[in-house]
Amino acid sequence: MDSISEKFLTKRYRGRLTQIPIYIGKFLRMFIYQNDWKVIPMAGFIAFLVAFVVRNSFYVTMEGTSKGALALMSVALWNGFFNSIQVVCRERNIIKREHRSGMHISSYIFAHMVYQGFLCALQTVTSIVVFLYMDLKFPSDGVVSGYFLIDLAITIFLITYAADMLSLLLSCIVKSTTAAMTVMPLVLMIQLIFSGSMFSLPISMKPVTKYMISYHATACICAEADYNNLTSSSGWNMLKKMAERDDADPEIKAMVLEMEATGQDEIVRRETAKSNYNVNYENTYENIKYHWHALVMFALFFAAMSVVVLEFIDKDKR
Amino acid sequence: MLSAFLQIGTIGSLIVEIMIIIGIWNIFRKCKKPSWWALIPAFRDYQLSKCADRELDGRMYLLIVGLQYFFRIVESLFGFLDDEKFIEKHTFGVVIIGFVFFTVIIASIVYTFRIYDGLRILFSEDKKKSVWTLLLIGKFILIFKWGVSKKYQPQFIYVDERDNDGAALSGMVAETMDTGLTVNIEERTAMDFFKKRYLLRDIHLNIEPGHMVLLLGGSGAGKTTFVNAVNGYEKAKAQIVLNGTNLYDEYGKMKYKVGFVPQMDLMRGEDSVLNTLIDAAKLRLPASMSSSERKKRISEVLKFFGLEPVKDKLCDKLSGGQKKRLSIAMEYISDPDLFILDEPNSGLDGVMARELMEGLRKIADKGKIVIVITHSPDRVIDLFDDVIVLAKDSKLTGRLTYFGDIEKAREFFERDKMEQIVLRINRKEEGGEGLADKFIEKYAEVCRG
Repeated sequence: MDSISEKFLTKRYRGRLTQIPIYIGKFLRMFIYQNDWKVIPMAGFIAFLVAFVVRNSFYVTMEGTSKGALALMSVALWNGFFNSIQVVCRERNIIKREHRSGMHISSYIFAHMVYQGFLCALQTVTSIVVFLYMDLKFPSDGVVSGYFLIDLAITIFLITYAADMLSLLLSCIVKSTTAAMTVMPLVLMIQLIFSGSMFSLPISMKPVTKYMISYHATACICAEADYNNLTSSSGWNMLKKMAERDDADPEIKAMVLEMEATGQDEIVRRETAKSNYNVNYENTYENIKYHWHALVMFALFFAAMSVVVLEFIDKDKR
Repeated sequence: MLSAFLQIGTIGSLIVEIMIIIGIWNIFRKCKKPSWWALIPAFRDYQLSKCADRELDGRMYLLIVGLQYFFRIVESLFGFLDDEKFIEKHTFGVVIIGFVFFTVIIASIVYTFRIYDGLRILFSEDKKKSVWTLLLIGKFILIFKWGVSKKYQPQFIYVDERDNDGAALSGMVAETMDTGLTVNIEERTAMDFFKKRYLLRDIHLNIEPGHMVLLLGGSGAGKTTFVNAVNGYEKAKAQIVLNGTNLYDEYGKMKYKVGFVPQMDLMRGEDSVLNTLIDAAKLRLPASMSSSERKKRISEVLKFFGLEPVKDKLCDKLSGGQKKRLSIAMEYISDPDLFILDEPNSGLDGVMARELMEGLRKIADKGKIVIVITHSPDRVIDLFDDVIVLAKDSKLTGRLTYFGDIEKAREFFERDKMEQIVLRINRKEEGGEGLADKFIEKYAEVCRG
């Protein structure tokens, strides 16, 4: 074997950019051999469950759309979290060894960004196909691309990807897979609580919601569904319930029956809808783009933080 | 009426505080610690934890109490908890602070229990009795009793050995060589709770190219710290020169000339042997190297380590010996001049371990320096040229006890086997003879001639 070490001092080694393909290749092999592919059918199954529950009211009434948006956002968040919560912490010692041998942390994380993007895209396509198969009724026009399904796909992808990057950051912070799986539900819970659509939060806590993926996710889905122009069934349903009670006031009973017969219930539905108007759900190009930008910024911020956190890997105790 | 109660309360608190001071004062006297620590709240509990050999718990307690004081000072300065408008405006922040404060209080109770459990053992107190006293009456009764009563005497006196003087320094420096490895470690320190601790000190040696060196020492003697300092991964106050180049100054490039094989076989189990080596080659070999040259090198390394027949297997499917060889091959791919291996034979049977060490001997015979840490050196000792013996001195600092020829090492320590040498220098608490300081100073004398 010829000695090649003399040449080394004057030679250049692979830099950040050229190391990225090495790790993308590695992760793609892991997709096949480490069973990472399982996240794809799992995304399909969860999408099926959600579609099964919300298919009759999604994009029809405000209430149904709001609940459906919450469910869709939860699915995307879950998919994203699950994709990368263990990817770094499970091979922390290997990363430490490779870092010692010249691997750049930024290349490693960027390769993860590309690979996770690929996973999220596959999950998005799977979810959309399942929604179509389940005959979920979608509006036809999209505000940004012109096609609703494309806008929805971009939104689902961005939510999944932002959640994926947050989970990648968590995986860089924690030292073991057990810790990662303990932290994940906690973060998911925080996202759901502060989404702003699940619970009515005190005014002082409202600003916190803007720093949540879940807030922008729900806003995006509702905006694309043209939430503010849908009718609301809650007011009319309440009136009908009141009228159907045995001890109901006969005047109210008669009034409800008359309104129903003359088609005036639509007016109640429209008027209730007006009171449910939400400025964040405006079906405009600017509004949807604003929420998309927020999701992209989240993803970039979490990825950058992952690099910063993982740079300290050499400080791990032996 | 209310003011009378308040006065009684204040007097009661004063009496409790006096009892605590008297109790701790006497405990420190019994444990041979400066008694005046009893006058400083929080720090006295830290000192108590040291008496009870629970220093780590004491540190946590000190940090927790420090946080509590910080909260109280901030609150008393700004009084924001009395300001309803402030609370209404910053509910989220106040809730978070409240949660942290609550956690801190729980933690302080837990750590108090830990320290007092240590003290209970120190004074051979009944477990149930002390726990119930602590819960129902308070710690002051226990402290007062253990401090004042002559019936309670400490079972041991805790001494922090790191405060000892340790063996004398040699005052030597190894002359820098143009070829081979020159190690001049003045010190490798770490901060430990605001105190500078020596992990390694006064290690000077020269290793010639082509030598296979055994790194010997008991647990905690600083072997891993030493190799990390030598390969530049954890820099020390030192000068490490490999073939005429200062390793610390040129670390960015020199790291490719140093191969470090960790004890664990750190590789991705679901990747194939060939792909693992290809990726290792891409990372460790110069970017300008052509693809065909790289393939040739990979093929050579596969053959050299006997991995050719299993090159398409997943790493997880390899035997222990094959995994170890692959782990070494991943570093060897860049043809390093200095090769350091941390317990490469752990988990391997005698025959496999021998085979592996013979492979390392072949690498050394190519003019490379191979340093091996192993806990079972005697069955392969004939393969080594030199031995580095590290030991903890009485200050618990890793020190050089011997470096040189294997045969001379036997004469120096008056023992035939390497494992017996380790026993000579190991501390008595570890089942050794506790002669580290003696041999450190003897080696310095021998070197000075």
